[in-house]
This record gives sequence, structure tokens and C-alpha cells, in this order.
Amino acid sequence: MSNNRVTRRQFLTYTITGVGGFMAAGMLMPMVRFAIDPVLQTKAEGDFVLTGQRVDELTEAPVKVDFSYEQVDAWYKSEVTDAAWVYKNGDEIVALSPVCKHLGCTVNWAGDSAYPDQFYCACHGGRYEKTGVNVPNTPPTGPLDQYEVSEKDGYLMLGKKFANSFA
Amino acid sequence: MFFNVKDIEQFQSQKQFIDTAIVPLLSLEFADDRSRQSSSAAEFLMSLTAFIEQQFKGRLLVTPPFSYTPALKDAIRPEAIKDELQSAGFKHIFFMTCDHHWTTIEGERDVIWMPAIPLESMDKAVKQRILEDQLKQVIPTFTSAWTSV
Repeated sequence: MSNNRVTRRQFLTYTITGVGGFMAAGMLMPMVRFAIDPVLQTKAEGDFVLTGQRVDELTEAPVKVDFSYEQVDAWYKSEVTDAAWVYKNGDEIVALSPVCKHLGCTVNWAGDSAYPDQFYCACHGGRYEKTGVNVPNTPPTGPLDQYEVSEKDGYLMLGKKFANSFA
Repeated sequence: MFFNVKDIEQFQSQKQFIDTAIVPLLSLEFADDRSRQSSSAAEFLMSLTAFIEQQFKGRLLVTPPFSYTPALKDAIRPEAIKDELQSAGFKHIFFMTCDHHWTTIEGERDVIWMPAIPLESMDKAVKQRILEDQLKQVIPTFTSAWTSV
């Protein structure tokens, strides 16, 4: 019994080690938390914007889908309305950005009656195939961008733009 | 294109493609009985010209609006603005306004007058549709000017 007794010295050592450990942890934890913060950052679901277009109503023919989101420029908040040309390619949904790669006009599906199955830019006569690939010898220098697509409760969601995957 | 540095730099390097200028003529009235209607017309005109810019960004420049109060109306001379834009290289210059004053002036063929539609009471989808309808009204004016050269 008597040899298990905690001496004053041992008691103080344990106590100080314990309290010191908590203090060190209290200082280190926030530092570690800051260091690994980018990893813990949750990916915002807000990257996808919900549109009013039902997925089961999409067909092979491109339709214009309007969607809007809030854009903040420094102190100025504005509601931006954007659009996409959406159609079904087999089972896959293709969403193309309507922004012409020439100088940024808005292109229209079958905008020129001479080319009923191409996208047409009224500004300088730029044309794109249904896949968004630019027709050679027209002003555009590249294919139309694509939007990431997703679905929520039967409605189409559009995400980030990426370079055309058909090109 | 708008009249900002980024767009103007692009305009200067692509002058052969951007040959059209749109100049909004904006009437401001501050009298109690007129200010509400005037602000509604201003909102409509700025929304419409911004929408036109979005559709034809690569071919036209939308300048900041030339705004005037009733007392300053006579100081705005569209033909002088037109001359300066033409010497800057624009081939087609259109003035857009909701103010009837400009349609009464003889020989102003480049003024496009639009009836001011009160957008403030509409929800987004209706607003968008109205602007699309209004755009369809003005597109023939642009395309006939563009194809005539």
C-alpha cells in the first residue's frame, strides 16, 4: 500500500503535464485547423443553378433555357439572366452556352433559315454545328462552351462552363 | 459592348466588326407628378438597351445614356453625336428613346422610339419575355441597316 502512494513531487508533475498539455493543445489546434482549412472547405452546391426546365420535356431539338443567378461586383449586386441551348443526345443532356466565340454575341438555333440545323450568330454570320463545333470559314475561332448538367426533382440544373467536349 | 475600358480595348482591336452604335436618349423629369413615370421609362430603356447589348455584343456599342431634363432638351443634338461617332468609325448609329420629343423632329430617321413598358410590377420571367418581344421589334431595323451595305 504504502509504496503506491503518490508523492507530492509526482502529483505536481502529473498535474503540470496535464494542464500544460491542454494549453499546448489549445494553442496548436487552431493553427492546425487554419493550415488544413482548404481541405475541409465544403464544396458549395450553389455552383449549380436550378432552371425551370423539366428534364423529361427535353428532346433532340435544342431549346433555350433561361436561368438567373445573383452576381456581386464589389458592392453592386445584380441579378444576371443567362441562357443555354439544351437538347438530348441519346440519353445524354447537352447544354451549350449561347455566347459566340467570335465577339460574344448570342447565337440562336436555326437563326438562319438557310441552315436549319445549325446555331447562327446574327452579328457576323458565325455558324456552329449542333454539337457546338464551329463551322470552318465563318468568323468564330472555337466551339461553343458547354455547361455541366445535373438534375434535381426532375428539373434541369446547370453548373460551370467547360470547353466543348465534342471538338 | 459597353463604354468601359475592357470593351473599348476590344473595340479598338476589332474595329472592322463593330460598326454600330446605340445611343440611349434618356429623359429625366423630377416634378412630383412626372418623376415616377420618368423613372419607369428610364428603367425600361436601360434594361432594353442592355438586353440588346447582350444579344449583339460583338457588333454594337451601347453608349452611356445621354440624359436631359426638360430644360436641357434642346441642348442635345443627335446629329452632332452622330457625326462624332461616324468619325470614330461607326457606320450605323441608332438613337433609342422613350421620349416622344425626338419623333416630332423632322429628318431624324435614326431615332427608334419605343413605348415605355412599366417593368417594375412584373416578375422576372414576364420581364424577360417583354424584353424579348421588344427586341424582336427592333431587330429588323438593325438587320436592314446591316444588309444594306
